[in-house]
Amino acid sequence: MSKPELLIVGGGPAGMSAAIEAASHGVRCCIVDEGRELGGQIYRDAHAIEREASPDLINPRGDELRKQLAALTNLIEVRSDSMIWGISDGNKVAVGKEASGTEFITPAAMIMATGAYEYIPPFPGWTLPGVMTPGSAQILAKNLNVMPGNRIVVAGTGPLLYVVASQLVQKGINVVAVLEATQRRDWLKVPFAGWQAWELLKEGFGYLRVLRRAGVPVYYGRIVTHAEGDAELSHIYHAPVDKNWFPDRDKEECLEVDTLCIGYGLQSRNYLAQLAGCKIEFDELGGGWVLQRDKRLRTSQPNIYAAGDGAGVAGSKIAELEGRLAGLDVAASLGHIDAEKLQQKNKPLQRELERFSSLKNTFARLTRIRPGLTELVDTDTIVCRCEEVRWKEAKEAIEHGGHDFRTLKVMTRLGMGMCQARFCWPPMARIVAQYKGCDISEVGPVRPRPPIRPVRLDVIAEAQSNQTQETE
Amino acid sequence: MNIVVVGGGVFGCLVSYVLARRGCQVTLLDKDYPGSATSASAGGLWAVGESIGLGCGVIFHGKEGKANIDAGPQPLPREFMEFLMESNRYFPALTQEFERHSGIHIEAEKGTGLLYVIYNDKEQQYASSLLDWLSNSDVDVEEWSSQQVCQREPLMTAEQQGGVYFPGDNQVNPMLLANAARQSATALGAVFKNNTAVTGIRMNNGSVTGVDTTHGHFECDVLVNAAGSWSGQLAKLAGLDLPIFPVRGQILCTEAMRKQTLNFNLSTSDCYILQKAHGEILIGSTTEFCGYDVEVPVENLVGLANGARRALPMLSQSIVKRSWSGLRPGTPDEFPILGPVTEIPNYFNATGGFRTGIVGAPLSAEIVAAHILGLEQPFDPEHFLASRFTKGDIHLPQ
Repeated sequence: MSKPELLIVGGGPAGMSAAIEAASHGVRCCIVDEGRELGGQIYRDAHAIEREASPDLINPRGDELRKQLAALTNLIEVRSDSMIWGISDGNKVAVGKEASGTEFITPAAMIMATGAYEYIPPFPGWTLPGVMTPGSAQILAKNLNVMPGNRIVVAGTGPLLYVVASQLVQKGINVVAVLEATQRRDWLKVPFAGWQAWELLKEGFGYLRVLRRAGVPVYYGRIVTHAEGDAELSHIYHAPVDKNWFPDRDKEECLEVDTLCIGYGLQSRNYLAQLAGCKIEFDELGGGWVLQRDKRLRTSQPNIYAAGDGAGVAGSKIAELEGRLAGLDVAASLGHIDAEKLQQKNKPLQRELERFSSLKNTFARLTRIRPGLTELVDTDTIVCRCEEVRWKEAKEAIEHGGHDFRTLKVMTRLGMGMCQARFCWPPMARIVAQYKGCDISEVGPVRPRPPIRPVRLDVIAEAQSNQTQETE
Repeated sequence: MNIVVVGGGVFGCLVSYVLARRGCQVTLLDKDYPGSATSASAGGLWAVGESIGLGCGVIFHGKEGKANIDAGPQPLPREFMEFLMESNRYFPALTQEFERHSGIHIEAEKGTGLLYVIYNDKEQQYASSLLDWLSNSDVDVEEWSSQQVCQREPLMTAEQQGGVYFPGDNQVNPMLLANAARQSATALGAVFKNNTAVTGIRMNNGSVTGVDTTHGHFECDVLVNAAGSWSGQLAKLAGLDLPIFPVRGQILCTEAMRKQTLNFNLSTSDCYILQKAHGEILIGSTTEFCGYDVEVPVENLVGLANGARRALPMLSQSIVKRSWSGLRPGTPDEFPILGPVTEIPNYFNATGGFRTGIVGAPLSAEIVAAHILGLEQPFDPEHFLASRFTKGDIHLPQ
């Protein structure tokens, strides 16, 4: 295939929809995705194990999108098992693949559809084997047919908890309880705020019904304060919280479990966009540091768009709509459709987006991280698990003038490990800001550097031979 | 004596430490946090290697990342090597002093030496001429056969034809070095102000009386310019011209690997490779003249990755975790700029560490302190005075 006009980063709902929309107007697209099959986290590849093991849990939407995409195969090149590890001069993109090396692509336009990842605050015991994120438990149980444990508590906040808890139940796992940090009275507002997005509400009630039928209690307004165990997790302690999620330690209760799935919502993955020079801003309701975008979903960099959770956490429905809007805008800006057609196609998508916005905003307010969560750390709690930095070391560094990510890193090695500060820094930034009594924007984000994901050295080295082919 | 040091890199921190140790009242001002630029360095203490054009000097003297072998050896003046070797001798004592004052172990490793790896006949000739040049000096140097290289550094490629080993060229952790100097100086009474950028220099009767900063005014009897790549701008505030320019270097860093995966610091015609105490392997470095930009263009990493796997094929499968770039404060003749200027009696330079800033820092700090306090010089200070630039016709690189 000749050089793609549009490079789409990520093949989840936003990326797939963007490709389908753009290609349907004649734009030559290339989707780069780390997975073996497109689908992203939510419509993760339905390969043989899952099809056999969890036929009832497969979301048909993933297959629908994959089918639509396959019908446009002459215009959409799919690069799976591939990873973009760097970008320079704003649009020179290094696409790496194990065993074949790196190719530099210079597209006319890019859509960042990089999705989101889970937010896990450090608390005493959180690094014990048996503590995992809801997303990891989901991959184990649903996709790989591996049972994450026998007595599981699902805790944290956000819709993903109910999805995962109900799927675990359907796989026959004993879910002891679901602990939701936000108060029940706040969750009761959801149906009123989100009635227009009736299909999502219906889906949500479906999950709750599964839990109720299985007798799984859902406790609202409670957080896990600490976890215990010798070599692995054996007990968790949870307590009721106030509206800022400060726990009432006198009312702490203990549960005997072997697995804790804990996650406090999602945050945008945007290291690559930052490397491309796209500006970010802190948005409490969008999941932390998010990309600045205009109404047309363009970032601060010309010809780079962002859609879906990678631009600001909003869920898969909105991701699809944003993907289509971005794909449409690219088609217009590259001259494949005229302004009139753009307008005509854009309007219904915008209206649909509007229909979901109220529910999205309600969820965002309900699940936003509150300060009580950042005060769970103990002096010996590990705050950076890659480099095993403890809170007391980080605290000492803060007191010696460590005021932002870079200085804390230099002083403690925090964030220097394989996760490249993805997991440690977002909660640590809140902890530091709260400890110092300053705004989180003063503490700042991570400044990403290539490779934005760890990559084999030969993938970087093998780039030379391809460099000359970079145009055409 | 009340001394203000501007710049908290390894030069500023060591100058502050040396002065505080001698009883001066030192205040160090850093525009963000001490050691920020220092931490971009790999921490090679390659006194001999760098002086004769190995280390990142290979790339510096060569073209497109290849040693300029045809042109023969390109060592710097002999005094430069003597200066670096003398400075290198300070590390064992500093290690103990810093451990005592700050509890920080600076990981100044012994016995890791620098091994120049020879790939072909041309490089062999190049090595021979370097050895000739070194033959009438007291430098410790060994010639290793290809077999000896394989035995002593088992992961080395079979492609190599032998090597030249400099047992005295070891390494340190530059971040810990700066941090240890800072905390030791603090323990001796020095004051460090972070996030304090100098915005103006106040003068009276041709002397400095103090500096204005983003956090207020600081009076001083003596001003030390240790602002690294930014020392030209600081000098300008005092009406001085300092020929300092930033020289960017990029480094690749692997995941932490088993300790002693590498036994030595390695230098080839493509890159240098060294393993740090934490287990990570660093592959460096580029030499680029591109202003204050510290982005990491991805294309430049390709050359480093190829250089690394050529020397150590097993590194192909290693995981690259990070890359970064930093700015070396470059000078036209590669010598640092240390000591007084003719124009202002109480202004002193402590800058221009360039490619050898880490290894040269201890002696540089002693020289500057001796100037300020009127003590006997530990090394002939003439070579390092800023006034040398007005005498000759030295051109800045394009």
